[in-house]
Amino acid sequence: MFRDLREFLAKLEENGQLVRIKDSIYPEPTIREICRAAVDVPNGPAVIMNNIKGMKGMQIAMNVHGSWANIALMMGLDKDTPVKDQFFNFLEAWDRYPGEIKNIDSDKAPCHEVIVKDNINLFEHIPLFRINKWDAACFFSKSCIVSKDPYDKDNFDTQNVGTYRLQIIGKDQICIQALAFHDIARHVTHAEEQNEPLPVAIALGNDPVLTFMASTPINYDQSEYKYAAAINGIPMEITKALNSDLDVPANAEFVIEGEILPRVRVPEGPFGEFPGSYSGMRLQSVIQVKSISYRKNPIFENLFMGRPWTEIDYLMGLNTSAPLYNQLKESMPEVHAVNAMYQHGLTTIISTKNRFGGYAKSVAFRLSSTPHGISYCKNIILVDEDVDPFNLEQVMWSLSCRVRAEKDVLVIQNTPGMPLDPTSYPAGMGNKFIIDATEPTDPDGLLRDTRLIESPDSKDFEKVIADLQKAAQKA
Amino acid sequence: MKCVRCLHDTARLLTKAPDGSGAWEMYACSRCNFTWRNTEEDEVIKPELRDKKFQFTQEPEDLQILVPIAPLKKK
Repeated sequence: MFRDLREFLAKLEENGQLVRIKDSIYPEPTIREICRAAVDVPNGPAVIMNNIKGMKGMQIAMNVHGSWANIALMMGLDKDTPVKDQFFNFLEAWDRYPGEIKNIDSDKAPCHEVIVKDNINLFEHIPLFRINKWDAACFFSKSCIVSKDPYDKDNFDTQNVGTYRLQIIGKDQICIQALAFHDIARHVTHAEEQNEPLPVAIALGNDPVLTFMASTPINYDQSEYKYAAAINGIPMEITKALNSDLDVPANAEFVIEGEILPRVRVPEGPFGEFPGSYSGMRLQSVIQVKSISYRKNPIFENLFMGRPWTEIDYLMGLNTSAPLYNQLKESMPEVHAVNAMYQHGLTTIISTKNRFGGYAKSVAFRLSSTPHGISYCKNIILVDEDVDPFNLEQVMWSLSCRVRAEKDVLVIQNTPGMPLDPTSYPAGMGNKFIIDATEPTDPDGLLRDTRLIESPDSKDFEKVIADLQKAAQKA
Repeated sequence: MKCVRCLHDTARLLTKAPDGSGAWEMYACSRCNFTWRNTEEDEVIKPELRDKKFQFTQEPEDLQILVPIAPLKKK
């Protein structure tokens, strides 16, 4: 669907989902104020800013994935598509893996239109700004970082494309946060035990699906490029990096190439993170930049993360839910849908058939044993299969009318936790909180004899009413 | 010059506005890696006005390492 960021921005504009701020602004604090506002309005649009003081001729795109309307458009759907329908559409696209790869000659790749190798100063080419007030510096919060396993250099599929936060610490130096469980940490370790630098490429301003896949927890030996192609429905265009054997997105707005210096750690952070709070300071690895290349009139895309919900919540919502759904479904086909949209799944709602008494609680235990669920999924809510887990009114109805506190609420103490979750203490430890809001089934004690009000067959009329409403709004 | 976050004399001019307008300058600390622009809010760039919780008072080497440096492999 979208070969690059530009095609997607055009699609957003066509659908009234892109606005431009032309006023002259200072980078701080105005950019963050604009981004907060853009994500807070209903169906928040992407925003392009191109009149930033001191940065004449440069442009910034923010909030590109920052609403369900924008996510729906990325998936080729109508912008009003309900989230549950977006979830099932995404699952279908997911099953098309692997998609096709198309190699573009390096000298023909748009990302190599302008190449800078000498006297590198990132600030001369990219309109950098401080995202949140107490961040340590300017950060790249929405890049795709490419690296290869030094022990497995010829394996295309283990080449990793991931989003990790990057702190710009100098004209040509960038600090990278890797957590021990990230794929890139494995590459860093393999390079460092040989005292070798690790080549990396940072692609900024990518087609929206690649950005989406770079923050999706897929298996180590699955290719983000092939997933992006499968979901985007067109071949993923890649080209060779200028300084290494890495494959980079050919249509990226910017590609910064460099090497992670072996056995070096420097102070990094704090940074306003996805739970809506600042991370602490840690010692992290350093990338020495060797080249910057970009398209003519490049667009710098970045992401504002504030108190939820902000763009990151839309970006990571469905791509956290889908792998969890697939993993649960393998052994528990009764699972109907998974909503893990709340802070990367810290709170997760599963709709499932409660096949026999207590079964739904077992689904929660299964979730707690998936690779992502072990540490992330701490508040787990189970609802019946005819409850839409993406519809919080329906979920609250289940809580209100299905939960027997003495039987359906469990706390399991001292389990793994997510270190960036401010309630995780010590960082990395946590609890599981399970609410079973499904209807009890035999041999569990049944509810008092209850007759639900049946929903009339309204499907055909949904479109009729929606179309009439659209016409009424236009009139 | 003095870093506004760690208060050591380890900061320097990092860069100036790239369009040559003189709209701002940026500074960077080589000790704690804090950077700031001279046009930011006073409570971000003036040490006496900064929130104490976001000042850096430790020694850099005392910070936690999240990805440990692996032992060297013998070649």
